[in-house]
Amino acid sequence: MRNSGAVLILTFIAKLILQAAGVSPPGKPRLTSCRSPEKETFTCWWEPGGDGGLPTTYALYYHLENSETVYECPDYRTAGENSCFFNKNDTSLWVNYNITVVATNALGKNISDPVEVDVVYIVQPNTPENVTAVVVHDEQGPFVRVSWEKPRTADTRSGWITLLYQLRVKQEKDKEWEVVGHLYNILHMLKWSKVAVVFYIPRERSLWIMITIFSVFIVLILTWTLNVKRNSVKLCLLPPVPGPKIKGFEKQLLKSGKSEEVFNTLVIQGFPPTTDYDELLVEYLEVYDNEEQELVLDGKDLSEDCMKSKSPSDSDSGRGSCDSRTLLLEKCMEGREGSGSGSDQHQYSQHGETSWASTESSESQGPEPGSPESADGCGKTWPVVFSSPQPQTHHHYQVGAAKPAYHSVPEILNHSSPHTTPSNYHQLHHQDIPQQEGRFSKPACRHSQSYNQFNLDGVGTPAPGVPPSPSLEYVEVQRVNPENMLLLRPLSDPNREPEGLDCAGEDYSKVKEVTNNILLLQRDTSHQCVDYYSQDLDNQADQCTTQQPPHPCKPAVHQSNSRMPHEGMRVMGNGYVDSTVLMPSY
Amino acid sequence: MSSFLPAVAVLLVALLCLDLHSRVASAPICTHGPSGCHVLSLADLFDRVIQHSARMHSLSNDLHSEFEQYFLPSKNHIGKIYHKCHTSSILTPNGKENAQKLAREELTEVILKLLMAWRDPLFQLHQSMAHQQDFNSFSSNKALEMGDMAHELRKGVEKVAERMRVLGMLGNSVTGLSAAEAMLPISDSGEAMSNYELLYCFRRDSNKVQNYLKILKCRIVPEHDC
Repeated sequence: MRNSGAVLILTFIAKLILQAAGVSPPGKPRLTSCRSPEKETFTCWWEPGGDGGLPTTYALYYHLENSETVYECPDYRTAGENSCFFNKNDTSLWVNYNITVVATNALGKNISDPVEVDVVYIVQPNTPENVTAVVVHDEQGPFVRVSWEKPRTADTRSGWITLLYQLRVKQEKDKEWEVVGHLYNILHMLKWSKVAVVFYIPRERSLWIMITIFSVFIVLILTWTLNVKRNSVKLCLLPPVPGPKIKGFEKQLLKSGKSEEVFNTLVIQGFPPTTDYDELLVEYLEVYDNEEQELVLDGKDLSEDCMKSKSPSDSDSGRGSCDSRTLLLEKCMEGREGSGSGSDQHQYSQHGETSWASTESSESQGPEPGSPESADGCGKTWPVVFSSPQPQTHHHYQVGAAKPAYHSVPEILNHSSPHTTPSNYHQLHHQDIPQQEGRFSKPACRHSQSYNQFNLDGVGTPAPGVPPSPSLEYVEVQRVNPENMLLLRPLSDPNREPEGLDCAGEDYSKVKEVTNNILLLQRDTSHQCVDYYSQDLDNQADQCTTQQPPHPCKPAVHQSNSRMPHEGMRVMGNGYVDSTVLMPSY
Repeated sequence: MSSFLPAVAVLLVALLCLDLHSRVASAPICTHGPSGCHVLSLADLFDRVIQHSARMHSLSNDLHSEFEQYFLPSKNHIGKIYHKCHTSSILTPNGKENAQKLAREELTEVILKLLMAWRDPLFQLHQSMAHQQDFNSFSSNKALEMGDMAHELRKGVEKVAERMRVLGMLGNSVTGLSAAEAMLPISDSGEAMSNYELLYCFRRDSNKVQNYLKILKCRIVPEHDC
């Protein structure tokens, strides 16, 4: 007890003295790396931790995994300073070595941290030998031949290790090496141990196959996409062509299955035309633009909304009329038609089914009540404007040009069902001539239509409800057929054929000229917007629904000259003109 | 749409046919002898199995590295306690001379024993990895592929042995392994090995198999690549 205590004290004092002298036990050594060049031997290196001022010796100890026997390094010299070389006999593969280094000096020792090593995973071959690069001149040009030999220590003959070579080049000024050749096939590599030529192994075939497959794939995907979107593609490439429709013929009729009505609509009564025009009540329509407008007015109460809705388009010259919407008068008056259209114009005007709104003044945009603008989802009807194609009228027009009389596109009566049309018909029929304003039923696609007739230029009979003023031209109702179509003809020309002219959307049109029994209406002063619209039943529906006028502001009859060919007009015996033929090609 | 599906099927088949991976498939052995059917040479067979074993080892290496990276931070294995690998009872040459001293038959048998010993453990490894949430699907798939490859490799080596036997290179001492040879990965202490330990051990054993096959090949068909 005393002795140990004395020993301890003495040791402590000695340490202090030694520390004062600057010596200490060695620092902790550290194993830096272990490496095997050929998988048969290996070497480990360590770095000393500091000798503490005294000569220090190092010893490496190891033991194999799961074994407690500790061995010391067999060879400290072969690999140089601070190294341990394990020869073939001492090297076991696929076994973990637990290695530590112990530094010892006079004052003590220090043990490094243990390191576990499996030789198989620390294999690093030696460098290839006799590496040479020679420039060779060939008929194809100069190239570089690089040759090398395998490292001597690597035993590839027995298959013990397999070497893979990679060629890298860089120019002197470059920093990075560029890999030039990939000799990826390990087994074939060994053939090139003596001489190696740089070459590429292009996987051409696979590459082309891949490219082909991917492009086919992409084509298929595109095809499928087109297939999926085929409808919109069709719409884009092949815009729908309106199918033929029968004017005045309602699909509803077919659906409802009432054959009578169906047949009725198909039958054109009065065909062939009879010459009993005179027997009909001749109604003259007069268009005036001033105060009489109240006549039209009724339209006002008709539907304010309709008017309003119309105005926007009307104000825009050319725009409103430019699409079929404007051409068609919408059945704003859906609810209105009910009233049986009073027997006289006043009532008639109140009827709401007709409106001459446009007769009002040219300035006003003449929205017509019930003009198509307001899309309330109802069907659209074609406003019809007739004017007498009389040359006289034309003349009159000239005269009256100063006072432009616009007649608005007559509103079309909105009949919810064809049943009502007959009543209109009657109404029309019975109205007084001069005061009469034709009732117009909207030539809605679903409804029979009647044409508004009105006189242009105020020369003719005054519009209903308005004291008749001398009108320049009269348009006479030739007859009213059961479809509520008013066939007009100019008074002066018994042969003339009435035509309905539509002026898109705009409510007024001024008769520009009359040629060939065609009345040209001019809308606004700026352009003419005249559409022909055939009274043919079969064309009507078509025009109503889908057909857009051949360019809004390109009226069918553009100028007052006879652009329309006579021959182009197919005049049918019953007084209808096939407008489709008339449509000029733009 | 219906016309689209066959095209897709054709494309898929074409893609599969591309030689994107070098897969070792067992070559059909002509039991009727060299005449009458096209026979792969022994060298080709060896090449195939060696490629296969290289792929298998690379997979095991990847899995082991992933495991180590994500689950075991310390790389020096300090303080690790390993269970012995269950294949440690199989005597395997641990050096070049030892391997070269072994006869062909013995070497072949060692290879087959190793491969057989790993049949069930690899399956267990895949199952356990697939069920654990820690592993992503890639790792689990690798484990599955690894197991399949071990199985294929075993079949391939058996075929090689058969061929060698036919060619008279092998004696009759190489016997087919029975199911009794299959070993369970139970360590000395009786506990089941963990996934990491399995990966650790298989990484090593797959390297052994690859090495032995190369030695065998260069011994038997040294014409090229040796």
